Amino acid sequence: MNDSRWKFWLPRAGCLLGVIVVFWWAPPFHIVDLKGAQQAQPAFDAVAFVDNFWSEQLGKSLDRATDAVVLIKAIHADSRAAREKYGRSAGLGSDYYFFMSGEGRVVSVGAHEIAISLEPDGSSTDVILETGNIFGNAVRDGTGLLNVSDFADSQDFNAVSAEINRRIEEQVLPNLRPKAVVGAIVHFAGCAEIADEGTDLHPLLVVPVSATVR
Amino acid sequence: MTAFSRLRNYGVLALMACLLLTGCKPKDNAASGTTHATSADGGPPKVAIIISTLNNPWFVVLANTARDRAKELGYDATVFDSQNDPAKESANFDNALASGYKAILLNPTDAKGSVANVRRAKATGVPVFCIDREIDAIDAATSQILSDSYSGCVVLGQYFVKQVGEQGSYVELLGLVGDNNTWNRSKGFHSVVDRYPGLKMVAQQSADFDRAKALEVLEPILQAHPDINAVFCGNDAMAMGAYQALLAAGKADTVKVFGFDGADDVVKLIAEGKIAATGMQFPKLMARTAAEDADKYIKGERNFPQKNPVGVELVTTDNVSKFGDYGRKADTQ
Repeated sequence: MNDSRWKFWLPRAGCLLGVIVVFWWAPPFHIVDLKGAQQAQPAFDAVAFVDNFWSEQLGKSLDRATDAVVLIKAIHADSRAAREKYGRSAGLGSDYYFFMSGEGRVVSVGAHEIAISLEPDGSSTDVILETGNIFGNAVRDGTGLLNVSDFADSQDFNAVSAEINRRIEEQVLPNLRPKAVVGAIVHFAGCAEIADEGTDLHPLLVVPVSATVR
Repeated sequence: MTAFSRLRNYGVLALMACLLLTGCKPKDNAASGTTHATSADGGPPKVAIIISTLNNPWFVVLANTARDRAKELGYDATVFDSQNDPAKESANFDNALASGYKAILLNPTDAKGSVANVRRAKATGVPVFCIDREIDAIDAATSQILSDSYSGCVVLGQYFVKQVGEQGSYVELLGLVGDNNTWNRSKGFHSVVDRYPGLKMVAQQSADFDRAKALEVLEPILQAHPDINAVFCGNDAMAMGAYQALLAAGKADTVKVFGFDGADDVVKLIAEGKIAATGMQFPKLMARTAAEDADKYIKGERNFPQKNPVGVELVTTDNVSKFGDYGRKADTQ
C-alpha cells in the first residue's frame, strides 16, 4: 500500500474506531424487547401490599385512633374545630375522615349496620358500624397511613382500597355480626368518612377495622 | 486535501459531535433554584397550557381557566391542543421548550406515553403540573392535581344501584383506554355494581370520551339490546351522545343515563330530569390550582405534593340546584 492510500484510510479507520469505542462506552439508546420490558415491571400485588399494611401498619396503629367519646364530644362542641383537630383529608376534596376507637353498647341491629351507644345507659345512638358491603376509601384515606403520592399509578392505590374493604368483609365482619345482639358490649376501631356534615356527623358511620364483642 | 473533502470531514466531525451530545444532560435550572422574572425577550414570562383535546367543552373550561388565572398572575399564557394525539403533545412540548416557556400545565393524552415529555421538560428545568389526568410516574411532574375519579364513581355506583335497582341490564361506555381516569372511573363503578349479581352489563365499549363517537357506538348496541335499563358513561360528553342516541331510539324516558364530569349541559339535563346523575369534578378549581402552583414554583417554592387529589361530588336531581358553572354555586369551585 503506498503512502497516499495510508494517508487516506488511516484517519478514517481511526475515526471509525473512535466512534465504535464511544458508542460501546456510552450507547445513545438501548433496544429492549417490549414483552421483556413488560415482564420486567411486575403487576402491582394489592393482596400482598394489604397483607403487609394490615399486619405491620394498621394493626400497630390502632392505639393512635382518637377516643370515640372524646371525638363525639368535640364534634358536639364545635364540629369545625373537631375536624381541624382530629380529621384527615386528602388533597383538595371537601370530604374528610376520622380514625377512632371506643367501646359501647349495641342498641339496634339492622341488615347492614349495628347501632352503638357510647352512653352507659344506652340512651343515644352515637356510632353506626357498617356491616354490609363495604365501599369507598374510608379506611385507606382515614387512617393517614397511606399516601397517594407514593403510588405512580392511582389504579394501584384504588386496588389497595378494594382489597382493604374485601379483607374487612372477610375477616372483621364475620366475627362481629353474629355476636352483636342488642345489649352486647362492642369494642371497635374504624374510620368514618364525612361527605355531608348535615347527615354524617350524628351518628358517625364507621367502617370497622377491628371489633370484639363481649 | 481538496476543499470538498475537508468540508466533508468537518461534516462527519460535526455529526459525531451531535451524536455525542445527544445523551448529555442540560443544566437543570430547577435544581439550581433559578427563578425567572421575565421571558428572554423582556416581556412577561410565558406559561404553556397543553391540553389533551379542545374538542370537548369540559377541557375548554379547564384550558381557559388555567390560561385566565395565569394571566391574572402576570404571565403570557398560551393554550396548545394535543387533539388526543400523543405525537401532537410531543410536538407541543418541543414548541414550548424551544420557545422559553417557564412552566407547563399539562392535561396529558396518555398516562404512560406522556411521561417522556414530562421528563424532557424536567431535564431542561421547566416544571410540569398535571391537571385532571395523571402520568404513571411520581418523579417527573412537579405536582399532579387530579380528580379522585375512583371515589367519585364509587358514590355514583351506589346511586346507580339505588336508581336502577338490584336487577336490570346496562351498557358502559368507556373513555380513552390509555387514560388512567377511564379505568379509575370504571373500576370505582364496578367495585359497587358488580356486588349485585342481578345487574348485568350487556356491553362495554370505548367511545374515547367523545360525544359523536358515543352516539355512533350506542346506536347498534341499542338495536342488539333494546331492553337495557341504564347507560353508565365515563364522561359527560359521552353521556350527551348516549342521551342523543336514546332520544333517537325513543328510549330516553325509560333508560337512565349516568355521566361523569359535571359539564354544564349535563347539569342542566339533570335539573330537567333527563339525565340521572353525574360526578362534579371541579375543573376550574384544578386549573386555578395548577396555575397558582406554577406561579409559586417560578417564585421559588419547591414543596408540592406529588399528587393532589380533588374530590368529586355526586350531582343528582335532589341537589342539582347547588351546582352550576362547573362547580358548586356557593363557593364557585
